Amino acid sequence: MRVLLKRLSLYPAIYCICVLLAGCGPKLVPPGIVYCSEGNPESFNPQLVTSGTTVDATSQQIYDGLVSYDIKSAQMEPSLATDWQISDDELTYTFQLRKGVNFHHTQEFTPRRHFNADDVLFSFNRVIDSSHPFHHISKTGYPFFQSIGFDKLIESIEKRSDYEVAFHLQHKDASFLANLASGFAVILSKEYAAILSEKGEPEKIDREPVGTGPFQLVKYVKNDYIRYHRNEGYWRHLPTAELLVFDITPKSTTRLAKLITGDCSVSALPKAGELAVVFQHDELEVDSLPGFNVAFWAFNTQKAPFNDVRVRKALAHAVDRDNILRAVYQKTAVGSTGMLPPMSWAYSKNQSLVDYHPEKARRLLKEAGIKNLTIDIWAMPVARIYNPNAHKTAELIQADLAYIGVKVNIVSYDWSVFNQKLSLRNYDSVLIGWNADNSDPDNFFTPILSCASVLSNSNRSRWCNPQFDDILFKAKSITSKEQRKALYQEAEALFAQELPMLPFAHATRLILKKKGIDNSQLTPFGGISFNADHHRDMMNVEEIK
Amino acid sequence: MARYLLRRMNLFVATSLVLLAVLFIATHHFPVEIRFALTGIHAPTVEQITQIDQDYRLQSNQFGQFIGYLQQRLTGNLGISATSQQPVVDELAAVLPASFELAIVAAVLALLFGIPLGVLASMSKNKITQHTIMTITLTGYSIPVFWLGLTLSLWFGVQLGWLPISGQLNLLYEIEPVTGLVLIDTLLSDSPYADSAFIDALHHIILPAVTLAVLPFTVVVRSTRSAIISIMDKTYIKAAEARGLHTSHIVLRHALPNALIPVLKNLGLMLGTFASYAMVVEVIFSWPGVGAWLVSGIYQRDYTVIQGGVLAVALIIIFLSIMIEVLHTAINPLSRKELYAAN
Repeated sequence: MRVLLKRLSLYPAIYCICVLLAGCGPKLVPPGIVYCSEGNPESFNPQLVTSGTTVDATSQQIYDGLVSYDIKSAQMEPSLATDWQISDDELTYTFQLRKGVNFHHTQEFTPRRHFNADDVLFSFNRVIDSSHPFHHISKTGYPFFQSIGFDKLIESIEKRSDYEVAFHLQHKDASFLANLASGFAVILSKEYAAILSEKGEPEKIDREPVGTGPFQLVKYVKNDYIRYHRNEGYWRHLPTAELLVFDITPKSTTRLAKLITGDCSVSALPKAGELAVVFQHDELEVDSLPGFNVAFWAFNTQKAPFNDVRVRKALAHAVDRDNILRAVYQKTAVGSTGMLPPMSWAYSKNQSLVDYHPEKARRLLKEAGIKNLTIDIWAMPVARIYNPNAHKTAELIQADLAYIGVKVNIVSYDWSVFNQKLSLRNYDSVLIGWNADNSDPDNFFTPILSCASVLSNSNRSRWCNPQFDDILFKAKSITSKEQRKALYQEAEALFAQELPMLPFAHATRLILKKKGIDNSQLTPFGGISFNADHHRDMMNVEEIK
Repeated sequence: MARYLLRRMNLFVATSLVLLAVLFIATHHFPVEIRFALTGIHAPTVEQITQIDQDYRLQSNQFGQFIGYLQQRLTGNLGISATSQQPVVDELAAVLPASFELAIVAAVLALLFGIPLGVLASMSKNKITQHTIMTITLTGYSIPVFWLGLTLSLWFGVQLGWLPISGQLNLLYEIEPVTGLVLIDTLLSDSPYADSAFIDALHHIILPAVTLAVLPFTVVVRSTRSAIISIMDKTYIKAAEARGLHTSHIVLRHALPNALIPVLKNLGLMLGTFASYAMVVEVIFSWPGVGAWLVSGIYQRDYTVIQGGVLAVALIIIFLSIMIEVLHTAINPLSRKELYAAN
């Protein structure tokens, strides 16, 4: 018995020790990138959403658009379209399409032809044509396109040949190309859609995506990970990483810990306070890019008492925005003077936005006849580029408003619940923001402040002002930058006067990564690319020339 | 014995029914539409509505509805998750193995170290050894698990960089789930990286398993110690000593098997506590098990996931408690005697 017992305990012990010793040796890890992302994507088709988390996980990885932005210079560059012409009346855009582009080859789908004009027509008609068989597959609609009035803008899309399409517009729109380059305007496969409808499961098109991008989706486990494989038939330079994994980690501190312990090599959206820790670790570095975004506190202007501009102004006067910049952003943001960030070409310093003045705030509230006001502030539960910590921001505002005698309840839900409840439209005010999808200044106004965007729920202030819409429409229909800038300044002035929301910061985009990981790259307008190599190669060629 | 087993079965069924009744009542109190709470379907079509009404007998009285509810739940229809739109049963099947894996490793750790240490504490004549062991176990017993988990991951993960602190496996390893237990799957896998993946999985499980093992470990040490002390006073031990048997033989052959019976009982009594500890550990170490899944379901107001998770966890606890009791009866001659007396 004793001998037996000894043996029994000896063997596992030896085995354990061997294994642990072996564990100290070099481990073989498949070549690839693990990116610690901040949340679950809502869908795998960016046409259906406006959330940055979904765009990160799809636009740059799975899909390509007709045109795109160069990562380094932020200039428009050809993507699936090799070239394009604009007619003299600016109402027709003709695109020549790239030949020999492969769609993803998945377990369910083997593409039998290359990308062509049919796919372009399918992708855009699905969005704009409400009688299209795939239009109603989306339960959430197409919020980005609805908010910019895309269906009203496009008269028709014409297939001229297999490799040439023309977009006919109803009216001039200077932001049209910029919108095509945004992460939402992706190209889907018509052949795949046809196969899915034959099988009677068309909704799979958004869940099990097929695109032309550098990576293809292999597996998604909610709350856990998204795994991609390299698209071996990618038309551009192949990405160096064979594998790409999004490790879904909602807590910012956990993301940082995972980066330090090596569980991930790139990590999203650090809180400003965590940067000090990063600088203590020599093997980590911070990538940053001036932000093309705005964080704001939106009042529900369709609900009393926020329908009164005096109340909105009073609340805005009471908030010390510099304090928010210091405490929440800690030097990783610039204060805003309006909706447009200083990076935008239409920006000019706007003096008319409200200043910090609690006395004025009290006076305005008195004028409006409001006493004992209690309001809810909804604070986003997740870190976003424009606001790394909405809850802390809400607490600061709570303290500021307490000073003028306004009570604040901070409301927060998990992200998906938060979004659902926001679309019920009965909130008082919400701390949220907007990350631009393209370089056009219109992107800071039409998608989030126009009347159309009230209907698509992307206008969080639910503010609809025909005069404001007129200015935006005018600004879109001309191409002279000077005139457009003047119009956007006019819009900013009207905005400051009405103040449907209080913008407070344009945050710098930050990403943490291990040194030596150089194939990840922040893209200028939202999204992160893990195929930065082809851009580097192109630059090298230019340098040699 | 058959009658005894039958009675235990009865107990299992009765407790499960009470559990289902509680869940049924709770479902009706969720602040959402009842069809959504039952099935997780967001905007059901007309056909779906009639189907749901028929399945769950929503037109009949409360009792009829409960029967419909029982029928659906017991045939394995837990609805679909409101956030992912996947069947809850599938999600459950995907997360349960991870929890079992963690629990098994933690239990092995607790028993492997706890029993010898308990014996040592009871047999040692040295006051310092005794007190040290008792101090350590008392400390372990009183440390809050969330603090312990965070501290361990801070020391061994972040500061020393020895061990990974979250997840089951480096996500770059692609391991086909066969059994769902990553440690076994990595060994079964034919990927060229299988060996590295196994070692990586082993590294990943160390911190969560140790954290989870601390509480059962202290329970095992303390109950083994007190059981051995009381048994060593028994006359049959005295008789064995008088016959000149070696102490180690007495302990291993005569004292320990009898001492393990109360240890088993103590462990069985604490199953509920262990389960809640396991959930906390899963959340801290992002372990993709049923606890982390249930907690995220609660945050996301995913009512079908909440019901499914609570049902699964509670059923497992009830089942294991009864199994431990049966086991206890089976190996304990004394309670067998009571059993016959009761019959």
